[in-house]
Amino acid sequence: MTAQEALAKGTPIQGVTLYSYTRAFHGREYDLEQLIRKVAAEGHGPGLEIIGFSSFRGFPHIDDTFAGGFRDLIDEVGLVTTSLAVNADIGIHRDRMLTQDELIDYMTLQIKAAAKLGFPIARVQISITPDSMEALAPIAEEHGVTLALEVHADQYASHPRILALRDRYEKVASPFLGFTMDWGATVSGFAPSLIEAYRRRGASEELLGKVVDLWNTYYEEGPPADQAVHGQRFGSFIGLAAQNGRPDLGIDFGINGTGLFGPARVDDWLEIMPWVTHVHGKFFGIDENGEEPSVPVRDLITLLVENGYSGAVSSEYEGWHWNHWQSPFDIIAGEQAVQRSAAENAGSRMITDAAEAQQALAAHLPHTLTKGIRA
Amino acid sequence: MIPDRIIEQGTLVTDGARASVEVRLPWYRALPGSCIAGAKLTVDGTEAPTESLRWRMNGQEFTFEELSTNIDEWWFPVDSAALSGDLPVAADGDHEVRVDLTLYIPYIIISDSETLHIEEHDTKTMTARQAQEVAA
Repeated sequence: MTAQEALAKGTPIQGVTLYSYTRAFHGREYDLEQLIRKVAAEGHGPGLEIIGFSSFRGFPHIDDTFAGGFRDLIDEVGLVTTSLAVNADIGIHRDRMLTQDELIDYMTLQIKAAAKLGFPIARVQISITPDSMEALAPIAEEHGVTLALEVHADQYASHPRILALRDRYEKVASPFLGFTMDWGATVSGFAPSLIEAYRRRGASEELLGKVVDLWNTYYEEGPPADQAVHGQRFGSFIGLAAQNGRPDLGIDFGINGTGLFGPARVDDWLEIMPWVTHVHGKFFGIDENGEEPSVPVRDLITLLVENGYSGAVSSEYEGWHWNHWQSPFDIIAGEQAVQRSAAENAGSRMITDAAEAQQALAAHLPHTLTKGIRA
Repeated sequence: MIPDRIIEQGTLVTDGARASVEVRLPWYRALPGSCIAGAKLTVDGTEAPTESLRWRMNGQEFTFEELSTNIDEWWFPVDSAALSGDLPVAADGDHEVRVDLTLYIPYIIISDSETLHIEEHDTKTMTARQAQEVAA
C-alpha cells in the first residue's frame, strides 16, 4: 500500500459563495435574506460563503441584533456558514498605504465580525504579507477564526509569494493559518462562454481563434515565473487585439487571459495541500454535456478526495461577468452535480447534509479545539 | 465589472441650471468615499464643470475633494448615489446622458505605493424631469 492509499479519503462539503449571484443581488432581484433562502431552497448549500463588504451594510461593523437575526436565519434554512471573505484594504487612504498597526486593527475588526456572524473561516488575500499573517495569528486564535489566504490566478501554489507564506506558516505553527485553494489558478482552457460573449460583441472568429491559441501557448509554457513574464503576457493579448482591428477588446483579453484563467497544473496544489483549509470551486460555465469545459473540476475534486480533504468547497461562479443570457442558478446546480459525480468516481462523496457538514467542519478546523467541542 | 448599470434609467432631473442623475456602483463590493476618485457628467455632449460636481450618498452631499479623505461613508452595491453638476438641461425631449467614473480598489495593490484604479463609463438616453415635480 502506498502512502497515498493509506490516507483516508476526504468527503468535501458542498457549498456556494453568494459572489456567484452578484448580478442578481446587485440588480436588486433578491435582498440578502431572499438570496440566502433561495440558495437553501435550490440545494446549493449546505456550505455558505459571503463577502462581508458585498452583502453586509456597514461591514465590518455588525451589531448584535443583526448578527442574532442572521444566525437564526441560517439555522432556520439549514445552511452552514463556512467562510466570510474579508478584504485587506491597504490602499484605503488615497495618499498612502496603511501602516502595519493600522492594517492589523482593520483586519481585527473583520475577524471579530466573522466570529460574531458564525463564520469559522475568514478568507484573506495576497495583499497581506507573511509578517502580517504572523501578527494576525494570535488574534485569529483568540476569536476562533481560521485565516485562509486565497491562492488565486495570477498566483499559484508554487509561486514564490505563496511558498514564502507557506514557509512562514510552518515556522509560526498556528493551526489558524491556512490557504483557500481557488481553482482559477489551475484552469485548463479559455472559457467558451467568454468567447461567446466576445462573439456577441462582434469579434471575428479569426480573432477569437487567435485568442484561444495564444492562451493555449501560455498553458503549455505553464504559469508565469514572475511579474515581468505576467506583464509580457498581458501585453501580448493587447497587441493581438490591436493587430486584428479590435483594440477596444485588448485590456479585457489581457485581464481575463492572465488574471482569471491561471495556467498551473492541478498537482501544483500539492505544494501547499496540508495547509488548504478552504476551497473556492471557481468556474466559468457548464457546456451542453453538463461539464465545465475550462476548469478541470473532476481532477480537482479527485485531488481533494485523495488527499483527505473534508472541508468546504464554495462553488464560485465567475461567468456572471459576461454571461447575461443564462441563469446563474442553473449553472451552479450543474457544476455542483459535476463535483458530486467526481467525488463518487474517486471512491467518496460530497457532504450535502447540514448536520453532517457541521460535524465535518468541526473536525476539519482548529477553532473547535479551542472551544473544546471537537467530537 | 458591471458598467452597463452605472446610470439608472429615467433618473435625470433638472432645475434648468443644474442636472443630476442616479448612478450605481460598477463593482461587486462596497467602497468608501475615499475610493470614489472622480466623475464626469455629460448631457447631450456638454460636460458639467468639474468644480460644480457634487456627489450625494447616504443622505449627505460631498464634493470630490471631501470624498477623497472620507473612509466613514460607504457606497453599498445596491444603493444609488446622485451625481449633479451645473448643466442647463431642458425638461422636454430625450437627452443622452454619459457618466464616467474613476474608482480605486483598495485591496488590489499594484506596487509599493499604488492601488489599482478603474475607469468605467455608461451612456443612456432618457427624458428629464423637473426638480419641482420630483420634490412634489
